[in-house]
Amino acid sequence: MLEGNYRLAAAIFIGMFCGFLLVKSDLAWRKTCLNMFLLKDGRLLKTLLFSLGFGVALVYFLQHLEVISLHVRPGYFWASLIGGSICGIGLAFCFRVPITAIAAIGTGRIYALWSIVGMFLAVSFVGLISGSLSSSIYSWSKPLDAPQQTDAFLDAGNPALWIMILTLISLVFLHFTFSGEAEE
Amino acid sequence: MKALTGKWSFYINGGLLSVMIVLCLYLFQDTVGMNDGMIKISEYAEQSAEQISANEEIELPPLEWQTGFLGGIFIGALAASIMSANWKIRFFQDKESGIISKSLKTVFFGLGGGFLVMLGLQLAGDSFLGQWSGALQLSGGSWIFLLSCFAAASGIAILLEQRGESGGDK
Repeated sequence: MLEGNYRLAAAIFIGMFCGFLLVKSDLAWRKTCLNMFLLKDGRLLKTLLFSLGFGVALVYFLQHLEVISLHVRPGYFWASLIGGSICGIGLAFCFRVPITAIAAIGTGRIYALWSIVGMFLAVSFVGLISGSLSSSIYSWSKPLDAPQQTDAFLDAGNPALWIMILTLISLVFLHFTFSGEAEE
Repeated sequence: MKALTGKWSFYINGGLLSVMIVLCLYLFQDTVGMNDGMIKISEYAEQSAEQISANEEIELPPLEWQTGFLGGIFIGALAASIMSANWKIRFFQDKESGIISKSLKTVFFGLGGGFLVMLGLQLAGDSFLGQWSGALQLSGGSWIFLLSCFAAASGIAILLEQRGESGGDK
């Protein structure tokens, strides 16, 4: 694990790579995200599905080879469901998550600054209501179980295998459903 | 050179996104995302406000790995957009005429949308990249978050499109 200035330097380089990738994959553009949610453009959907299928297998094998260890923050059913729904509603208005908002500003879309301002306001707002959150949405259900993985990859009980199969089927379906890519 | 200026295939983009997340897990023993960086900046702003009210000297903003990651994203996106000739200054999300109408729409959609996105992420307890990383690690909470997020976003976007309110520029 990197520490100190090496950690900072690696974070900056990975950030640069991430920003480059967000533009190359069209995730930084508002219009392409809108078309993805309207189910008019399959390119971004295919990118995200491929990332999930490939990434699940990559994490599985690297974890079994003890190259990486799992780092998952504890999840709560209601917090994840309500948080995901609220985040989705916000996405339908601004089409930016925090990292894509920063990338959009880098590409000259200054209006994404309003989304950043909204995000800062939300951080302060959550700080104000954190006490009542602890006694409500986080106490409605117990923390979800830690991720479970089987020893054999080709085991019918291995969720990673099923996710790979489902993403592969979805990719084939999308490939034949969407005839072309929407214009930027 | 075309690799730097042109578009990349979905399998290259998707594969690199996963590799980047796994690399973060390997190097930092954590996932990077803007959530932590924003909390650091927000804490700094709060601390600076207290220093100003107490007539103390303001300290420089902290350059930690989370905030360094955000700076890196800006530089990377700037470089990619210049290379692919996509860098354009835009102050409004819509191209429609009427400066008051498009200003109000830009502020409302940007501010309101950004607030809701970060509120949802804070409730779920991680950044969007962190949730994506959690999904790759088969975290149940991350899968619930992503599925509900995409379902809500798609549903609301289709409703807004039917009302003709979701158009706009890139």
